Amino acid sequence: MPLPPDPAAIAPLPRRRFLRLAGGFAASTTGLAACGTADPGSSLRYWNLFSGGDGETMARMLAGYRARNPHVDLDEVTLEWGDRYYTKLAMAGAAQRAPDVAILHLGRLPAFAPGGLLDPLRPDLLARAGIGGADFPAGLWRRSHHDGRLFAVPLDTHPFVQYYNVEVCREAGLLDDRDRLPPLDGPEAVRTALRAARRVTGTPGLLVETAGEGVTPWRLFWSLYRQAGGDLLTPDGTRSALDDAALTGVLGFLQSLSDEGLASTGLSADGAIALFSSGRAGFFWHGEWEVQTFLNSGLPFSMTRFPGVFGPPLAEADSHAFVLPRRPDRSAEEHLLAYEFIAALLARSATWAEGGHIPAYLPVARSPEYTRMRPQSLYRSVIDDVQLDPEVWFAGSGSRLWSEMTAILGPVMDGRTSVPRGVARIHQLVQDLLDTPNPVS
Amino acid sequence: MPERPLTRSRARAGNAVLLLIAIALAVVWALPLVWAVLTSLKPESETTEIPLRWLPREVTAEAYRSVLATEEIWYWLANSAFTASAVTALVLLLSSTAAYGFSRTRFRGRGALFALVLAGVLVPTEILIVPLFQEMVFFGLVDTPWGVILPQAVLPAMVYILKVFFDGVPRELEEAALMDGAGRWRVFWRIVLPLSRPVLAAVGIFTFITTWNNFLWPFIVTASPESMTLPVGLATVQGSYGVRYAEIMATVVLAALPLLIVFVLFQRHIVRGIAHTGLGGR
Amino acid sequence: MPSSTAAPRRSRDITGSGLAFVAPFLLVYALFLVVPLGMGLINGFTDASLVGGDREFVGAANFAEALTDPALWRSLGVTVVFTLASTPPLIAVGLLMALLTHHLAPARWLWRLVFFAPYVLPSSAIALIFVWIYQPGFGLADALLEMVGAEPVGWLSRPVAAMLGVVLATVWWTAGFNFLLYLAALQAIPGDLYEASSLDGASRVQQFFGITLPMLRPTTGLIAVLQLLASLKVFDQFYLITGGGPQHSTRPILQYVYEHGFTNYRIGYASAVSYVFFALVLLLTAAHLSIRRRREGRLGHA
Repeated sequence: MPLPPDPAAIAPLPRRRFLRLAGGFAASTTGLAACGTADPGSSLRYWNLFSGGDGETMARMLAGYRARNPHVDLDEVTLEWGDRYYTKLAMAGAAQRAPDVAILHLGRLPAFAPGGLLDPLRPDLLARAGIGGADFPAGLWRRSHHDGRLFAVPLDTHPFVQYYNVEVCREAGLLDDRDRLPPLDGPEAVRTALRAARRVTGTPGLLVETAGEGVTPWRLFWSLYRQAGGDLLTPDGTRSALDDAALTGVLGFLQSLSDEGLASTGLSADGAIALFSSGRAGFFWHGEWEVQTFLNSGLPFSMTRFPGVFGPPLAEADSHAFVLPRRPDRSAEEHLLAYEFIAALLARSATWAEGGHIPAYLPVARSPEYTRMRPQSLYRSVIDDVQLDPEVWFAGSGSRLWSEMTAILGPVMDGRTSVPRGVARIHQLVQDLLDTPNPVS
Repeated sequence: MPERPLTRSRARAGNAVLLLIAIALAVVWALPLVWAVLTSLKPESETTEIPLRWLPREVTAEAYRSVLATEEIWYWLANSAFTASAVTALVLLLSSTAAYGFSRTRFRGRGALFALVLAGVLVPTEILIVPLFQEMVFFGLVDTPWGVILPQAVLPAMVYILKVFFDGVPRELEEAALMDGAGRWRVFWRIVLPLSRPVLAAVGIFTFITTWNNFLWPFIVTASPESMTLPVGLATVQGSYGVRYAEIMATVVLAALPLLIVFVLFQRHIVRGIAHTGLGGR
Repeated sequence: MPSSTAAPRRSRDITGSGLAFVAPFLLVYALFLVVPLGMGLINGFTDASLVGGDREFVGAANFAEALTDPALWRSLGVTVVFTLASTPPLIAVGLLMALLTHHLAPARWLWRLVFFAPYVLPSSAIALIFVWIYQPGFGLADALLEMVGAEPVGWLSRPVAAMLGVVLATVWWTAGFNFLLYLAALQAIPGDLYEASSLDGASRVQQFFGITLPMLRPTTGLIAVLQLLASLKVFDQFYLITGGGPQHSTRPILQYVYEHGFTNYRIGYASAVSYVFFALVLLLTAAHLSIRRRREGRLGHA
């Protein structure tokens, strides 16, 4: 291995690049250690789980940050979304190999904050970087805390939404005189619209992911179940509060869509996205983050908030937030460097909103730059109705609750599991999760 | 094998049938890789066309260009080459010395120790991932090359294979050298190892391929992309692009190339090595 | 006098160097096999968590939970089904490849290359290729089925199809290994056996069943055992192709361990499950050994 060159002789960025390229990762760890002691402020490791359109948007924002902060060697890592990302983040944290800043879904905070995997944020230094609670929606700011301490700074809210193909819907006679889709409220309105779209394309009117490793079944279920007034747990999070009537209603509605050939079956997320991009269906229910994918594909599409099928148009959502993984020796300078990085991305989160997410940072969310954005701001009113997961360790994006619920819900939606059996399995699952000893308490 | 003249024409017809079956099987076997290569040469927009087109309408190296432009794939390649070489070297060194010790020398507790090593063959290393990870956390080796390498260097089966081999080597040469005053180590290095070249090559090749392709342990013990091996990086790290099948397939082709080239170049050795060491398949 | 002192010193030398020969391996062996094996056993009786905190002794609670968790039995079932579904084709295809290659002497290297090449690819490359092939709509697998007039399968969305998909990928990936073992065994069969039987007028088919298959029996036994052990430990293909889905219908036992230990932080519980799995492997190995011993005993008497 080559000797590390004299730190004073070479600027930080080329030094690390040189070391890393010189000897694979053997050298990279040395380089990192050298940076840690010589000039702690100069390097920032940032982990996220953004691929697809989000990945492209984040890459642009980071390029902007790099251009404005040439003295910071920003090392960005994108890992596969979901439990794979969170498993790696937790393992890296347990081994004290975690990055300086990471993205975490707020719904996952109860699984990360209590176990000591995260460092609490320092409000004094946050304020110096210009970040304060008044600039965020109250609900998100509250969910950024654990045990009275602040652990996260939210970047966005990402609700479940409805995409529609403008040409298909126009031909189906579903658009109003301004060429927009009126709200579809109630189960019959949804069914009628899907039937009309099916007449145009000859394929199921609705594309929805029910298979693979995805999580749409949970998102869709949680939106509808909350509309029907259902709860998963008692307010203290210790007992099941499942509502059988609401469960049966929601599962029955979902199954009826595929029974009647109105909704696709057996599609993975990638498959559904590809089919919607190629103009093969009228509607697509999904998270809002595929906006860029569809804009790039040149598809004539627009978006609305998720329909209020069983009541008010509540929609499942989670929030991407910045957190600081645990580092026992984090200095005030390193805190500040991280906060300035976060503040820089927040200030430009209108760029982030192009990817479909509703900015959490209110000065941006209220700016004309965002409110004039189409179709990204058409569903922003949902911010008042978003439904985050119950605040327990087994919930949140990519959590065990999600994967297990999706495993139950997918087959119900595809018509391979009966509704009563689905309800029974949900009861069993919630009880199992409550019975599992909490590993972070 | 020689055949009687009368049956030759029938045998020729039989051979033609065999050839047809072989060609059909070979086509099926080549198909997934060929499909990956074809996909990787398409422009992204052509990959998801329905109905599916076999050949790219327009051949492009765009996917390869964008994959090779990322830094990660070069780290992964370097890491895989380094860890696989290091593990192979360690396995050869540790296993051959231990096997020789068990085969030729005498010391108290030899039988018990060898039994202990043999018992290790029964332990699937996969059941150790959880405590091994804790151990690596304790030693501070998570996300380091040694964390990837050391646990993979323990292959008791190789000690067994080499001991059986050494047991079969006639002792006369060694005894003559010992009489001439050479030490045990000198005899081992100068006489025994050169004699064992074929079996060492077999063990080495098998270890190298297995380590190069090993997924589970490197996946557990690495955290950042610049310390991952090729198989782990391929499965874990996402590019900041959408579902781009041409790029994904280009990455797969690039990841497959090194060992495919090695295999084509050293086919004969590798085939013999695998056949001799036929242990621990997947 | 000189001879009486030389002899003991000589033997002491050998003893010393003997330990020196085995010590390096034993050190690494102890550190990375014996120690974690012990740690795992201790873990199994505690509620140790990935994220630290105090761990407490919980007795056999982890083992009791493991043995009564239907999901664990389901994972075990996945592993068994996978073994039963993949072993026969892996043996049959490997044998077929070896017979073809053995009899088609010209261009033998080419057959070897085509049949064995997949084995040198990493599991994650296999997974990416097959996930791509199994895509609904524009995937190759469905397109091929369509060419012969069959319906699309929904490869990764139905439990049976997902299992079949992983089995097919595995057969494609690893049959080449069995192929090589069979090829080596075929080449080791003495040619005069065939010559003698041709002189007796035996046909090639008769030779195949009368000579080739019986001579390959030890290889088949070896392959079956290797296959069984490898199938028990299967992880990569399932984790990377199906992720265990849909409905955990394709989650093998090692993925169960991984998910509980790392994703859910429950190191104690995952260690206990690892030991349950270990016991199973030992049981099967013991069964295999005793069967082989009994069979060898019978052969010895005959």
